[in-house]
Amino acid sequence: MSGVRKVASAVALLAIVAALSLGAAAGGMGPFFDGIRSLGAFYLSTAPPQIAELVLGPSYRGLSSYSPEVVTSIVWDYRGLDTYFETAVFFLAIIGAVAIYRGIEEPVLRRPASGLSPIVRAVTKFLIPINIAVAASIALHGHLTPGGGFQAGAALAVAPIIVIVVFSRRYLLERGVTKLKALFFRSAGLIGIALVVLIPVIWSVISGEWAWVMQNQWKPGAEAFSYPAYLGGALISGSIWFLNLFEFLAVSFGFTILFLLISIDEDTVRSCMIRGGEECDRY
Amino acid sequence: MIDIEVFIKTFIVLALFGTAGVGLYGVVAKPHATKKIISLTILGDTVNALAILLGYRYPGGIPPVYTGQPPNEFVGRAVDPLPQALVLTAIVIGMAVNLLIIYIALQTYRLYGTLDTRLIKKLRG
Repeated sequence: MSGVRKVASAVALLAIVAALSLGAAAGGMGPFFDGIRSLGAFYLSTAPPQIAELVLGPSYRGLSSYSPEVVTSIVWDYRGLDTYFETAVFFLAIIGAVAIYRGIEEPVLRRPASGLSPIVRAVTKFLIPINIAVAASIALHGHLTPGGGFQAGAALAVAPIIVIVVFSRRYLLERGVTKLKALFFRSAGLIGIALVVLIPVIWSVISGEWAWVMQNQWKPGAEAFSYPAYLGGALISGSIWFLNLFEFLAVSFGFTILFLLISIDEDTVRSCMIRGGEECDRY
Repeated sequence: MIDIEVFIKTFIVLALFGTAGVGLYGVVAKPHATKKIISLTILGDTVNALAILLGYRYPGGIPPVYTGQPPNEFVGRAVDPLPQALVLTAIVIGMAVNLLIIYIALQTYRLYGTLDTRLIKKLRG
């Protein structure tokens, strides 16, 4: 790079920082560190049913999402359509990656997969069930404690990549975690999300009453439909629990497909490092 | 007398702006695709951290999860939940999109044998 371009880049970099700082100092980003915006305060005071009842009086149910976890209520209730289309972006990203790798077949096993040392493998065998349990807990309690479908999916996606590094990709494939099965579970999760979103509309067509797309609790103007907030005495916050569960399936198995496709078989790496050759050039 | 709290807050915000600028610089100016991808992840993570900071309350912020406090205390002390809701989806979607970009980069390398955009630009046919 020539000297003039270096100076121009440095000046541009400083100008970006200065412009952002000026905007922030002029209040363009709202308050830093103290106070919250009125929209955030509205979500905080309506999402938990106990607070909504005190703040809004007896008409609170039409605005509350029946979840003490305000972040998850925003993700799946107040701004549910945002999240719905974010899931569409996620779907397209994974389908794009799978389409790039179409027709690349999995290499044939020549000898049993060995992986890292026995100590690492034994520890991993203990850690993987714990990882899966934690992820399931994050997903299924997402409406009560910090967490939800996205975080749990990302937490579970750690399991296949640890198995690939410690054992090998072949170990995962031998135990039945194949691309086809992962695609099936990911699609099941996505179909589940679409169904939960559309059930109010289907119900509306059948019964003739009014209902909104993605409606959780009843809303003013559509009082007849409401997902059950409690199931057998346990708070499930209506549709939020189901959406968390299906998003958990979609995200975790979506990442599993990508990690399965992007990793290279241990045998291939070893034979390429020892012998080399034509077919190794592409790695 | 310098107020140390104001200094630290200003320093954090300026550091985030600086990191975002470095990420943007890397995406624009670095010729190698791997470095562009690394810069893009730096830029995305910085913007996420900035969004979380915008909703943060410094003295006495509590998580936006209702655990039975008095309502005034909960609404008056909890951090803003909206940036957190936006960032949690942005992180997961960002990871998926980054993986898609990495797939494209890997395929480019396997087909053309290079990720240097100056060399890819000269390829014909």
